[in-house]
Amino acid sequence: MNTMTAPPVRPARAGRRPGRVRLPSVSRFSAVYLWAAFIVLFGVLQFHLFLTVSTVQVVFSQGAVTAVLALAFLVPLTTDTYDLSIGEMMSLTIVLINWLTLHTSLPLGVIAVMVIAGCALIGAVSGFVVVKLRVNSLIATLGMSEVLSAFQLYISQNHQVAGRFTSLFVAIGNGTVLGIPYLDLYMIVIAVVLWFVLEQTPLGRRMFAVGGNREAARLAGIPADRIVWGSLIASAVVASVAGVLYTAQVGAYTADIGQGYLFPALAAVFFGASQLSQRPNVWGTLIAFFALAFGVQGLTLQFGAGTFWASPLFQGVALIGAVGIASSRGAIGAGGDGRAIRRLLRSRAPAATDPGASSQDEADHAHG
Amino acid sequence: MTLQLRHVTKSFGEQTALRDVDLSVEYGEVHALVGQNGSGKSTLIKLLSGYHQPDPGAEAELDGRPFQLGSSHAARAAGLRFVHQDLALVLSLSILDNMMLGRPYPVGLGGRIRWRVAADRARGYLGQVGMEADVRSPVGTLSMSERTAVAIARALSDTGSGQLLVVLDEPTAALPAGDVDRLLEAIGRLRAEGHGVLLVSHHLGEVLGIADRITVLRDGRVAASVPGAGVDQRRLTELIVGHSVVVPDVGPRRPKAGGGFPRQPAGPGRPDQAMALRVRGLAGGRIGGLDFGVRAGEIVGVAGITGSGRESLAPLLTGGLPHQGEIEVAGSRLAPGRPRDVVAAGVAAVPGERARLGVFPNLGVRANMTISQLERHRRWGRIVRRLERREVGEWIDRLGIVARGPDAPMPTLSGGNQQKVLVARALRTRPGVLVLDDPTQGIDIGARAQIHEVIEQCAADGIAILLVSTDSDELARLSDRVLILAGGRLAQILERGPALTAKSIDASQLDAKPGPALAAAAVGSEGGDA
Repeated sequence: MNTMTAPPVRPARAGRRPGRVRLPSVSRFSAVYLWAAFIVLFGVLQFHLFLTVSTVQVVFSQGAVTAVLALAFLVPLTTDTYDLSIGEMMSLTIVLINWLTLHTSLPLGVIAVMVIAGCALIGAVSGFVVVKLRVNSLIATLGMSEVLSAFQLYISQNHQVAGRFTSLFVAIGNGTVLGIPYLDLYMIVIAVVLWFVLEQTPLGRRMFAVGGNREAARLAGIPADRIVWGSLIASAVVASVAGVLYTAQVGAYTADIGQGYLFPALAAVFFGASQLSQRPNVWGTLIAFFALAFGVQGLTLQFGAGTFWASPLFQGVALIGAVGIASSRGAIGAGGDGRAIRRLLRSRAPAATDPGASSQDEADHAHG
Repeated sequence: MTLQLRHVTKSFGEQTALRDVDLSVEYGEVHALVGQNGSGKSTLIKLLSGYHQPDPGAEAELDGRPFQLGSSHAARAAGLRFVHQDLALVLSLSILDNMMLGRPYPVGLGGRIRWRVAADRARGYLGQVGMEADVRSPVGTLSMSERTAVAIARALSDTGSGQLLVVLDEPTAALPAGDVDRLLEAIGRLRAEGHGVLLVSHHLGEVLGIADRITVLRDGRVAASVPGAGVDQRRLTELIVGHSVVVPDVGPRRPKAGGGFPRQPAGPGRPDQAMALRVRGLAGGRIGGLDFGVRAGEIVGVAGITGSGRESLAPLLTGGLPHQGEIEVAGSRLAPGRPRDVVAAGVAAVPGERARLGVFPNLGVRANMTISQLERHRRWGRIVRRLERREVGEWIDRLGIVARGPDAPMPTLSGGNQQKVLVARALRTRPGVLVLDDPTQGIDIGARAQIHEVIEQCAADGIAILLVSTDSDELARLSDRVLILAGGRLAQILERGPALTAKSIDASQLDAKPGPALAAAAVGSEGGDA
């Protein structure tokens, strides 16, 4: 029940009556229901605009980069570590690639690999600060975020940097196969790799263990420090890959990229953590992200191009709502700090484990 | 003034914690309350503080005026003040702020705190317990005895005037040896000021040093109430344990099935067998120099009152605390503070504080059980859940774990079943050495018996087992030898035999004095191997 990522064939549970179709539980699949609700709502309101192939294509091709960024945030979160520098990491990658194509004659592939490796190094520095200097990861990566922002300003001199790109690179970022944007395929590949590592391998199991109880993990012989350190390097690499994808899709660097992408990514991960296995997970993150993206797209269509305010309003409300539902069901000893919120996100509601009680709760939530 | 309790009975369902207890505490006296774990001390304290309500029939009088037991308001009004073992201080705040915690500050114009007035008052109360300190310094920078003094001063400051009865619950348990005297001095000062002191303690030496009167609780009844000058430590121990220490019971209370002692060959009678675990000059935490060894197939118990170093032993051995000295597992030395090396050396542990050190609340039973050795079910890099489930299912059957299947979330299990999952986690790695820290604490009798069976099975399979426990019955039932710790050192070794009983273990703990000479002798007796 709690390992939705690889549902094995199992005998019917006691309490599940045969012959009765059970809908997936509302709380653990709320993002899916939300997604469906948006499609119905905006499909009715904007019949000619919303329910079109192009809407779907727009959302999926524009969302792919942010979704990858969300996956970058997800990796260290499994070990209970925040990496807030991913937004700036992504935009640093973008400015570096643009700048390097202008000022060197290196092939793009080499540039991309170099930049990603450089970001991995920066992730290692964050890891050093978090693990060795024992700085809270929120603070460490927030500080790192500003440092990276300074790098960008220094390189770009606060101007737009538009590099020279080959048509192949542009095609990599904008092509489609059978109507599916390449970018989504890359996203799926990255997601599958991360899902495999996090949910299928001993390493992933250990990451969640470190996230759940670091001292217990250490005593069980798990190299907790190394795992936290490695997860920050991994998030830097994935964020940098998101930057490469952005460059392939859009091209030029502008100063306001980083922070604008951070929040939707965070919101998707937190919302996603209340889905499926009810801890930070890959598919929950993607589902939550695209559910929100469809909502934003619908609002934009509904209210016209002037609705730049729709997206942040919507993301914010959805995040609070989703986490609110998750906490009210799993709340134990809610405190005033981030740790408590994370515990709420991680903890599975006792009610959700009891088939009878949970369907009752779900009914309540569905009405509420 | 006198606080008088009469006919106090308290039962929890079937269990009776206190039976018809009478207690009379004079103000201007130190009255000690002693007894074993489970004798009813904490229940009595909780009745006084109003946390529990007594059964009908109980009477309480303060100076002839009746007051209501079981009401925290009445207790406060009657001048009862409590200093609990954890002191309830905020370490990052100053002494002054701690003393004012939850109380109104003296304020001046516009609500401004009159710091000087507040500080003067605080100094006054600190003076009552003989403490002089800068009230602006954070409590975290103080020594443990100073912190206790602050907590007592805080309790005194609650009303500000009149005679109080200060209840101190194990105030010396967390204190290093040197600090105890200073705290006792502070307690003496309280008495001199005319306050009453009710002192709950396991440390009989301290109790005898300061108490004017000692009340002994045993099995929920008052076993004796004697003047402090009238008893010595031996006599007091006898009163607490309830029999003569010199002549122990005949045989273990619960003889093993099949009679005799099935693991006899592993005992100290066979020094030729190699030590699986061997410790020399171990120090760290509250332990200051310890030597012992555990042979394969042997169960060595470790007992000691709170503060004896018992609680530090398992963390030191498993890398939770960095150690000094030598820990050798199967001949190779362990580096300090590296649990990975400990696990790799074949030492498995069931940690003492289950929730803090053992359980992963975000994972299910299966993941919790297999976490320390995931490679067993790995094929092509991934964990094969089918195999993992099968193994976990077998452990669930073997240990009788009550859970809704192998994937039930860990927090849905009862404490005893969570404990069994941790036992399974330790055992499935097939360790050479097993370190158990209070493996049956807080779990029901059935689960306890099952865990005991598994422990015995492990010893029969040749695992060297170190069993650190507060449960003397458990130690007497399982151990080949019991090491008694006191003051961070080895005080006594009880060998398996008819004399090894729960009562003799209890008595030894209470009677124990740390002896370096004995520690040296222990090394000598174990020196003939390897």
